[in-house]
Amino acid sequence: MSDTLVESSAESAFLDLHKKLIEQGSPALAELQQAALNRFELLGFPHSKHEMYTYLNTKELVETAFGLSDGSKKVSEDFVAGHIYPGCESQCLVFVDGILNRNLSRLEGVSANLVPLSEAVSDQELKKYLLETIEDENDVFAALSTAFCGEGLVFKVGDNTQISGPVQVLFVSTGGSPVMHAPRIVWQLGKLSEVKVIEKFVGVEGGYFINAVQDWLLAEGAGVAFTQVQADVSDSWHFSKTRVHLHRNSRFHSSNASFGTQLARHHYDVRLKEEGSELRLNGVSVLDDKEQVHNFIRIHHEAPQCISHQHFKNIINGHARSSFDGTVIVNQGAQLTSSDQLINNLMLSNDCHADNKPNLMIFADDVKCTHGATIGQIDEEQWFYLQTRGLSARVAKELLTRSFAKSIIETIEFPEVVKDLNGTLLKKLEVRND
Amino acid sequence: MLEIKDLHAGFDGNEIIKGISLTIKKGEIHAVMGPNGSGKSTMAKILSGHPSYEAMGGEILFDGENLLEMDAEQRSLAGIFMGFQYPVEVPGVNNAEFLRMAHNARRVKAGEEEIDPLDFDDLLSEKMKTLGMEKKYKERNLNDGFSGGEKKKNEILQMAILEPKLSILDETDSGLDIDALRVVSEGVNKLRNENNALILITHYQRLLDYIKPDYVHVLSDGKIVKSGDKSLALELESQGYDWVTTAN
Ligand SMILES: Nc1ncnc2c1ncn2[C@@H]1O[C@H](COP(=O)(O)OP(=O)(O)OP(=O)(O)O)[C@@H](O)[C@H]1O
Ligand SMILES: [Mg+2]
Repeated sequence: MSDTLVESSAESAFLDLHKKLIEQGSPALAELQQAALNRFELLGFPHSKHEMYTYLNTKELVETAFGLSDGSKKVSEDFVAGHIYPGCESQCLVFVDGILNRNLSRLEGVSANLVPLSEAVSDQELKKYLLETIEDENDVFAALSTAFCGEGLVFKVGDNTQISGPVQVLFVSTGGSPVMHAPRIVWQLGKLSEVKVIEKFVGVEGGYFINAVQDWLLAEGAGVAFTQVQADVSDSWHFSKTRVHLHRNSRFHSSNASFGTQLARHHYDVRLKEEGSELRLNGVSVLDDKEQVHNFIRIHHEAPQCISHQHFKNIINGHARSSFDGTVIVNQGAQLTSSDQLINNLMLSNDCHADNKPNLMIFADDVKCTHGATIGQIDEEQWFYLQTRGLSARVAKELLTRSFAKSIIETIEFPEVVKDLNGTLLKKLEVRND
Repeated sequence: MLEIKDLHAGFDGNEIIKGISLTIKKGEIHAVMGPNGSGKSTMAKILSGHPSYEAMGGEILFDGENLLEMDAEQRSLAGIFMGFQYPVEVPGVNNAEFLRMAHNARRVKAGEEEIDPLDFDDLLSEKMKTLGMEKKYKERNLNDGFSGGEKKKNEILQMAILEPKLSILDETDSGLDIDALRVVSEGVNKLRNENNALILITHYQRLLDYIKPDYVHVLSDGKIVKSGDKSLALELESQGYDWVTTAN
């Protein structure tokens, strides 16, 4: 995919940085990291017309001279406690700058499920999977993430096991200087197993680059309810790639709520590999000032009788930007696929911007697929109507904006997260609306 | 209470209201009738402060205040209520929550405390009962997917919750079957007292059997071409609008 193998200075800076990582890193992961680094070199950073990066400019990011963080920077317990959702106190994994911090985490409920990635790669099958995904990786930032993955984690749920209550993963970035970190989690779900996961991304100070990769491998009949809250400091970079493999009759329900950063990008790559699997991918973002959120999504229907739903909503104010580049690929043989994809943008200012590219590639003949995108403003008639009932222009606008986000926020299965978002994400709208 | 003096108004520079004068006193009911497109809804929207409509001449005083200088919110808080001919659907905004917000906005304006949510629920249940509305309308989103008749009932419910001084009901009777019309009319009549007033915009004399007007005005091409008492509505029904519009 790359045009040239001659490295620009941006790439070589990361190659130099990698040498430091290998010196201080775990030898068991070196093979994986090196393979990913080779892939990174081959792909190279995207030029402005790169098909995966059409709508975002990564120039400033790749030209920043990042250092490495080793996870040793202190984060106060109070800071962490402020971001742990009620009900998750006994099973929360706290990552500090990409590394699991066992002192801040509460692992009682889940310690048996956790295997450090450096140990887990002795399982040849998992190692093979990880190396293969690197060979197939076309997203340079995901390759970069694996090249720099610190002590990643494998979270295993055995066959017929249901983890009770949600598991929270809190990713804290300490920031304060340009540092990069690359948390990595592989979720391995056995047959008929179930887990509910809440992830929250927060920062103490800006300047950091969090570049996370996760794999969700669901065996037959497994079920996942997954919610991500991207609440980083706005002066930071947030990249994430979520890879999902769904086997027979498995279900993956995901909602993402994003506050945006100066550049945030979510990449989802989902494969519905066997019959009867189901995906729900929802997202809502509320952006102001110069914040950005970009979604890049590829859904592969590889087997018959699978379902995928996608619904993304963006509320965009100020000079903020969002983009949605999503393709559903229905392979030959994936008959009776049912797929829908919808993006709605609510534009609150004249200077905000939204790009949408919903797309379908269908190679089977008996399928039901829809897609669409809308861009709209506050409906003047609705706004007026509310004001004739005595609501101020500001309150009425806020009510309409909240109502726009509601249909996505309602799909989040954790009331504590919904409460949090109502009080934080949707509060972002209050300040500037007038 | 309301004084309209030689009002000219419209939108995008088109004059739709071409010189209307009308005085409404406390306790009165005025019916406004007239052919399609004569400007009835335009007049109502001017009164309620729709931003797309502009006054091009004349003035409107409400309790002595210059109404045209107030925005829609201020007019509502001052006691003007508009029952829309076509109420908009607002998906995602819960009906009961919205009603409570509107009710509280009025209370706060009057210097009162916000109502306790449970007390409001009781108030709402009682008002809904008098309008024959089922409980499920609390849970539904504002007008979202409501039938024409349900929307009109919901407008009157809002009127009941807000207890305005002056209500302008734009074709509230259209879309209601005869039973619903009776219930809604009774609801409106219950809200009447010597301190409030009502403007009823309608095409049908039928409504005026239930809510009896003191005056009937006929609007045609943006002007009031005839005013009279209740019997004018009966004459219009039997003879049609041509009778007044051509006679003028
Ligand atoms: N928003 C608008 N855009 C374009 N034309 C409008 C608009 N509002 C009103 N008009 C025009 O202004 C004139 C008066 O319309 P208005 O709705 O006030 O009539 P009306 O008396 O209420 O009619 P009806 O009995 O059908 O409700 C009509 O010619 C109508 O087409
Ligand atoms: Mg009308």
